[in-house]
Amino acid sequence: MLPDVTALNRVLAGVSGAKVLEEGPGVVCRVPFDRVLETMKALAGEGGEFDMLVDLFGTDTGEAIDLTWHLRAFGKDQEVYVRSFVPYDAEVASVWSVYPAALYSERETAELLGVRFPGHPNPKRLLTVDEIGSFPLRKSAAIRERADYARPGVRVTPKEGGDADE
Amino acid sequence: MNDAAERAEEVAADSAVADEVGHVPGGVTAEGELVAPVLPKGLRRVPRGVDEVATEHLVVNMGPQHPSTHGVLHILLELDGEEIIAAEASLGYLHRGIEKLSEHRRYAHIGTLLDRADYLSGIHTETAFAMAVERMLEIEVPEKAWWIRCLLAEVNRIASHLVWLGTFGLDIGAMGPFLYCLRDREQLLDILETVTGARMMFNYVRPGGVLMDLPPETEPMIRKFLSTFDKYMSEYDELLSGNEIFLRRVKGIGIISPETAVAFGLTGASLRGSGFGWDVRKERPYGIYPELDFDIPVGSVGDCWDRYVVRMEEMRWAAKLTTQLLDGMPAGDFTAKVPRVLRPPAGEAYAAVESPRGELGVHVISDGSDKPYRLKIRPPALYNLAVIDEVLPGYKIADAVAIVGSLDIVLGEIDR
Amino acid sequence: MALDRFTGEHSTLFIRSEQLFDIARSNSLWYLLFGIACCAIEMMHAGGPRFDFDRFGIFHRGSPRQSDVMIVAGTVNKKMAKSLRLLYEQMPEPKWVIAMGACASTGGPFRQYPNVVLGVDQVVPVDVYVPGCPPRPEALQYGFMQLQKKIKLETEMRLAARRDRA
Repeated sequence: MLPDVTALNRVLAGVSGAKVLEEGPGVVCRVPFDRVLETMKALAGEGGEFDMLVDLFGTDTGEAIDLTWHLRAFGKDQEVYVRSFVPYDAEVASVWSVYPAALYSERETAELLGVRFPGHPNPKRLLTVDEIGSFPLRKSAAIRERADYARPGVRVTPKEGGDADE
Repeated sequence: MNDAAERAEEVAADSAVADEVGHVPGGVTAEGELVAPVLPKGLRRVPRGVDEVATEHLVVNMGPQHPSTHGVLHILLELDGEEIIAAEASLGYLHRGIEKLSEHRRYAHIGTLLDRADYLSGIHTETAFAMAVERMLEIEVPEKAWWIRCLLAEVNRIASHLVWLGTFGLDIGAMGPFLYCLRDREQLLDILETVTGARMMFNYVRPGGVLMDLPPETEPMIRKFLSTFDKYMSEYDELLSGNEIFLRRVKGIGIISPETAVAFGLTGASLRGSGFGWDVRKERPYGIYPELDFDIPVGSVGDCWDRYVVRMEEMRWAAKLTTQLLDGMPAGDFTAKVPRVLRPPAGEAYAAVESPRGELGVHVISDGSDKPYRLKIRPPALYNLAVIDEVLPGYKIADAVAIVGSLDIVLGEIDR
Repeated sequence: MALDRFTGEHSTLFIRSEQLFDIARSNSLWYLLFGIACCAIEMMHAGGPRFDFDRFGIFHRGSPRQSDVMIVAGTVNKKMAKSLRLLYEQMPEPKWVIAMGACASTGGPFRQYPNVVLGVDQVVPVDVYVPGCPPRPEALQYGFMQLQKKIKLETEMRLAARRDRA
């Protein structure tokens, strides 16, 4: 299930700045954000044979967006994560030409985290409307406080110590 | 002289007299340019009858309120007559921030939100989340807890597939199976209510085990259900599989090749219908599935009919699995000792289960506090739905309903 | 219904034609088949064989042009609110709205997310609120009974209001 690190290093030899580490959920390939498409092509091609994109998501670390692509090779029964720190307002080339499964999740990531994916054939909003303003999944985006959602005329008694509603 | 040149000459002749009469019929010049008509006063268009050859493309909005979109799916269809030229799903009508709100909830409270993500199979989402947290905390789950989880997962799988079967029949135009399916589903919901206390929103599978032990009346209830289920299944099969109209509407429609299925990240019955036998329960075994004896039904062509057959077979296998799970139910603890407030160490874990729709994964990133730093649900239905961009073009508009119905989508989980 | 001045009881004999319409309307409430989220499954069960709303004359229609009641069954967010308003405006008068579940009533468990509308009454006028998450079909049935009561009293209330003004 876990791929061989040396074999992966050989596959990613052509990608400058790529590091293969064993961390987090398994084997992670750390790549610079401008080398993502190159990495995907290498992983999907000869030697890698990762044929399916399982999932794509981003995490706001406070300084940058940490994007994660979760890949799977059915033939070899292996899974690998490709990770890349993307500065706010930076651009990451769309990988839809390698993995069409990224078409919808890239649109979702773009509007929830504010990462732009140039090269996407249909870069429209997917989930929200324009009026939302901020990028909801960023840590800077606040959720509603009790005063914002309390209904007029309804008395709210604050709970003692409990934070089930936080 | 060909028609186009003839028509262009006519247009030129007409423009010569346009100044006098103030009327140009419009048309196409020899260079292919469109000439707008200049109309006499009082007319909005040139009366020209119906052109039976030329058609223009029409964009149709299917949804968000449409009886056969299983919730609030909105599909944009570009049509040439009846034929679909391009299709696109417009999502987000149920986007309610489950992932964002999870970052503000303690681990014990997240099950409430996850139930509402995939509201047809809450047990599966809860199990995936519990597995991810257990991996981070390195909790040893008692054996009985896993038997209960798998038992309820299979019961829930039948319940979810029954909704799919009923609504799929409804989409195609068969009202009868829907009523029969709901009749059986009520029994299943009674079972789930007896065990968990709720019909749909269970919050029953917790990190470390399950909330409480199986009540003693569960086993006779499930056995009573199973005693009639096989007979009812053949009834449904006869109602739909023997129906000529149904067969014509699903056979050879919506063919997804194995390559397309893998490229778009399809999982579950939609992938297996294309002849690619991959099931999380077999390939990434969790719980006690390695000890159970079951098969993975696989289709061959990848059309709606294959996906239908695969799901029907899955229901039969789920019933058989339920019997095995009841027979082998061990004694013991139903939950491990877990602290009241869970604080997983900084790190992350991914856990996937085979939900009725496919591989449902939960990826939890922890920073050591009592709330997750990031929680991502891998929505199988989103990836299954994405394939319509590729599959729908070329089919007729009526087939869109059948194809979307055969993919079995749940919008709560797609939009999250 | 009006009071029979001879017997002192409620009777359909001494009744205004509007009140007769009210009674007729209250017994054939066709609802719009419009499920949004989890509550929609319970709404389906309400129309299913065990709860069988058909016997009260409560039946689903696929088009808003043919419906009397809209059951808002689920969370309404900012994208949905526009479509919801449009659907409400497409329904012919007289029309009623049932807010089914916690989400449609107040925003429910998702009220903290800024994209969620805090109760459907901010978009369309609501007649009956059904609490629960999701409400059982019995609860929806009780909601419908309350709505029937309300509809039967409609003319009487209007007449009473006119008397008060005079």
